[in-house]
Amino acid sequence: MNREKNRSDNLRIAGIGRCAGIHIRVNGRMITAFPGETVLAALTAAGYKVLKKSNVRGEARGPFCGMGVCYECLVTIDGTPKQRSCMVEVADNMEIILYEPDNG
Amino acid sequence: MNRTTVEVLIIGNGLAGIVAANRLVAAGADVMLLDENIHIGGQLLRQIPERLGSLRVYHPDYVKKIGFEFIAALRTEKIVVRNRARVLGIYPGREVLIETAEKKVSTVKAERILLATGARERFLPFRGWTMPGVLSSGAVQVLIKSSGVLPARDLVIGGSGLFLYSVAYECLKAGAKLRAVLEQTPLWNKIPLTWQLLHQLPKLTEGSRFLSKLIFSGVPLRYSTRIIEARGNGALAQVVSAPVDGKGNIVSGREKIYPTQLLATGFGFSANIELAQMAGCLSAYAAERGGWVVKTDANLETSLPGIFTAGETTGIAGGLKSICEGEIAALSILRQMGRPFGPAHEKRLAKLLRQRRHHLQFGKYFNLLYRIPAAAYLDIPDETLICRCEEVTMGDIRRAVANGYDTPATLKIALRSAMGDCQGRICGPIIYDILAALTGRSQAEMTPLVVRPPVKPVSIESLASYSE
Ligand SMILES: Cc1cc2nc3c(=O)[nH]c(=O)nc-3n(C[C@H](O)[C@H](O)[C@H](O)COP(=O)(O)OP(=O)(O)OC[C@H]3O[C@@H](n4cnc5c(N)ncnc54)[C@H](O)[C@@H]3O)c2cc1C
Repeated sequence: MNREKNRSDNLRIAGIGRCAGIHIRVNGRMITAFPGETVLAALTAAGYKVLKKSNVRGEARGPFCGMGVCYECLVTIDGTPKQRSCMVEVADNMEIILYEPDNG
Repeated sequence: MNRTTVEVLIIGNGLAGIVAANRLVAAGADVMLLDENIHIGGQLLRQIPERLGSLRVYHPDYVKKIGFEFIAALRTEKIVVRNRARVLGIYPGREVLIETAEKKVSTVKAERILLATGARERFLPFRGWTMPGVLSSGAVQVLIKSSGVLPARDLVIGGSGLFLYSVAYECLKAGAKLRAVLEQTPLWNKIPLTWQLLHQLPKLTEGSRFLSKLIFSGVPLRYSTRIIEARGNGALAQVVSAPVDGKGNIVSGREKIYPTQLLATGFGFSANIELAQMAGCLSAYAAERGGWVVKTDANLETSLPGIFTAGETTGIAGGLKSICEGEIAALSILRQMGRPFGPAHEKRLAKLLRQRRHHLQFGKYFNLLYRIPAAAYLDIPDETLICRCEEVTMGDIRRAVANGYDTPATLKIALRSAMGDCQGRICGPIIYDILAALTGRSQAEMTPLVVRPPVKPVSIESLASYSE
């Protein structure tokens, strides 16, 4: 947990007066996020690179276009599958599930 | 979204959309401004949301300053502005199908529509480009600018076009270690500079600021260099590049390996014309405009009466052109609506149309300069994925074309390419280019694919919420 925290601090750019952190759960694990960040940004800062498996071959896929076009960053958010994580902002207690077959 | 009719519906609130909205609202029109993005401002005016804090590393340049002024000037009580609202389709009689942030689907009937749907990035596939850790250059910029997050502390940037330099600049400012910028276009090229480019001085000074930052930071800048492979075990670990010759062919035996966790790649932009095509507006291929664009008359009206388009949809040429066209479209719409249109309006319109020609000239220069050579597509190895969603490879395309499936429509049926989640937004422009390269035919002679609604995947629940 401590090591994760260091990693995430490391990827967040310094010099931004962020509000107090909130918590979201990723496959059951608690991570810290900041209001205003997208789900994709929070996942990226926490070190998640693989978000789903590809449709046909089941290969690991991560975010690609970052702006809602490619559908490579699909995750399940609060029970709704196939959400583009780059197009949704984080909210406290949000529940994210990665690698669901539904999101492939 | 309880409104069911509106005078002018603007789709897209990037520069073109917000400028048009301002002009129309000022003239008393009833306007609705929709965008699927979380924040207003489109691609250029991405900013750290206030709630997240202030990011001082960026100095908004001249174009962005204009844009932010327009956003501030939007008199929001006289206009309906909706973000996270996706337009799924446009039907005869200008009935527009919209999915809101709450995943509710409804329709709005508009007297006039302005399509200001902008552009997305364009790519040249290479072996391993689907590997986690390979991101588009725009994705890296968006993560930095809208969320204050770097995808990794070290990176390589590779592809072609001016945009790479602005991403490089932002990465350096954000404290990333930039290992190299790989540009496949030669440093010196044969396209003559024209005097019209001088009208774009602010853009050129901005460009030189980016470049000097790179040079002073000691970042290796490699021209005539193409990424040929992304390597790693599950996630990116190495980027392999190779030099290319004057024709765009890879020179083998001189590969270079860069260890890195992140590759940001992009090859310029491609206009978002699918919504216009779905509505039935004619599109056309023009290399000097950056590829397929929406056809318009001089007043930016499309082939369908009452539907206008402005911004990157008519040709890739950067922010100033979008600002200019946003106002042209607004004036044309006001005139068509029979609003007061005097000599002052005529004069303003004439001036804007002159400016537009300069912007198009600027766009033409860079679109031709950074055009991906046919040889680059012919060099793609068979096993490389082209369609990321349906996992269609270059070899699949080569075989299909050899078997006579050599038009956009027949190829799509043969391979199911462009039928996955992204609905061809990523591979579509690539496949047109590949077809042209493999067959030697110009895209201007090709019939574009018919785009069917919905233009974006929509869930059954959303559709179920739709009742007349
Ligand atoms: C990733 C990226 C980065 C860029 N960075 C720069 C830069 O640094 N400098 C520069 O000069 N130019 C940049 N550009 C080019 C940029 O597009 C133009 O400069 C300018 O911002 C274009 O303005 P626009 O209004 O034409 O389109 P955009 O700003 O692209 O706005 C179009 C809007 O339409 C919305 N939209 C599209 N389809 C739908 C739909 N179906 N439903 C609802 N909304 C929809 C999009 O969400 C978007 O907000 C960039 C482009 C991209 C793609």
